[in-house]
Amino acid sequence: MNQELLQKLSECVEFGKINLASPYPPNMKGQPGADEYAKEALDAGAQPSEILDELVTAMGKVGQKFTENKIFVPQMLLSAKAMSAAMMHLKPFFASGAVQRKGTFIIGTVFGDLHDIGKNLVAMMVEGAGWEVIDLGIDVKIEKFVEAVQQHPEAVVGVSALLTTTMVNIKPVIEAVKAASPDTKIIVGGAPLSAEFAVSIGADAYGKTPQDDIVWLDTLIA
Amino acid sequence: MKTWIDSILVSKQRIALPIMTHPGIEAIGKTVKEAVSDGQVHYEAIKAVSEQFSMSACTSIMDLTVEAEAFGATINLPDNEVPTVTGRLVSDAASIAALEVPSLDKGRVPAYLLANKLAAANITDKPLFSGCIGPFSLAGRLYDMSEIMVGIYIEPDAINELLAKCTQFLIDYCLALKAAGTQGVVMAEPAAGLLSNEDCQAYSSEYVKQIVGAVQDDNFTVILHNCGNTGHCTEAMVTTGARALHFGNKIDMVQALNDCPADVIVMGNLDPVGVFKQGDPDSVYKQTKTLLEKTAAYANFVISSGCDIPPHAANANIEAFFSAVKNYNEGR
Repeated sequence: MNQELLQKLSECVEFGKINLASPYPPNMKGQPGADEYAKEALDAGAQPSEILDELVTAMGKVGQKFTENKIFVPQMLLSAKAMSAAMMHLKPFFASGAVQRKGTFIIGTVFGDLHDIGKNLVAMMVEGAGWEVIDLGIDVKIEKFVEAVQQHPEAVVGVSALLTTTMVNIKPVIEAVKAASPDTKIIVGGAPLSAEFAVSIGADAYGKTPQDDIVWLDTLIA
Repeated sequence: MKTWIDSILVSKQRIALPIMTHPGIEAIGKTVKEAVSDGQVHYEAIKAVSEQFSMSACTSIMDLTVEAEAFGATINLPDNEVPTVTGRLVSDAASIAALEVPSLDKGRVPAYLLANKLAAANITDKPLFSGCIGPFSLAGRLYDMSEIMVGIYIEPDAINELLAKCTQFLIDYCLALKAAGTQGVVMAEPAAGLLSNEDCQAYSSEYVKQIVGAVQDDNFTVILHNCGNTGHCTEAMVTTGARALHFGNKIDMVQALNDCPADVIVMGNLDPVGVFKQGDPDSVYKQTKTLLEKTAAYANFVISSGCDIPPHAANANIEAFFSAVKNYNEGR
């Protein structure tokens, strides 16, 4: 029974079926979504950790399909929303410590930059990979990154920029975070960035796609 | 204009048309904010670029906030960065239904029309291409870019209504730009590059096609720019009927040329950041030369930057680009 529910939950996340009300995907219209199946699975006695594992596996497939150009941003966002809907039911178990996440990931768009689609995609995919995500939003000042790291000293930091004029603002963020917490790892990303640029500003890694971020984050806990 | 397009197709000389105005803004000592707010300053920036470099044609500022601002969106206007839309103007079917298509006297539209009129009247030795945003990218700025990506599946009727309103405004705006005397418009539709080919067709190309049908003729060309396309939605771009297609640096330019009809002008795609801004004259020269050699067999190719060249790109880099084109042409 549980296995069947978990399989259905996995399919909902993989194909972006958020809840019963959502008309997408058309072939699942009128059917329960990730929201309902997650609750049903818990009610049926599934372990929260089993549900989390299922979500992580499903989002892994989504990330892979995105990397291979088999799906695009809308489909990935729908899957991420389905995953978030299911994850809501796990929140009490995260709070109680009954379920452990892989780690904490602090993410924000650098100060001066108001763009958020890339940052949102990464935040949702990293959450879907089993990390707790603290999203600081857009136009995030240096002090806010530092403060967040001080509150979560084990966290990994992600900094995003879309503009050539704001990508240069990432360097002082890295310097300030490393000054406050030398062991904190930082990954950067955004359309105008490159691996070379990431190295030049002292970042530990560069994520061209959300999947790059997930693969790199997983190496930190391996 | 058709003559200019046709002349490209038969010429052995390679035309160079980087999209840039920021070097002009910097040359006249003004800020980006002044240039995007004041039509006279904007025109002087275009003129400065035209006079400083061997441009085959000029372009106006690629500012993807003018149209959203006209609809009522709030704008962040920093002194020396490109403006950005803040917040969300519409969020559901009801607010979309209540949204009015603005007249052309709203926001900075009059300043942009003035800049184009002045440039068209005073720069007479080469074509001038205006700029505007594409319908899907405009709708994304009004509805929130992340939300519209989901909205096309969750609320497709509402999104189509929003796109229809954006399209009506863009037709009005492009007709005014045409009346200002410019020879065409570079329509920036980067957000459509985040969609699959089928969704790009349904939520961008079908609307671009309407604009092309309303404004394009022998004297006015639509150059459809999509720097988000990695090659997956070129087919949808071609169906718009735009006489010229402009690609970003994420695409394989030769593949794009192979995917487009031979009578459509295909433009692109040197990296505006990695090459023009972060490179040095030597690397710019080499990469320009490499792209020219790779595309030598295609008569319909125009070499360009993959997107707007950002503020503070070194003039020496831009000169290296033109130098590579000049030397290449001398050998043809």
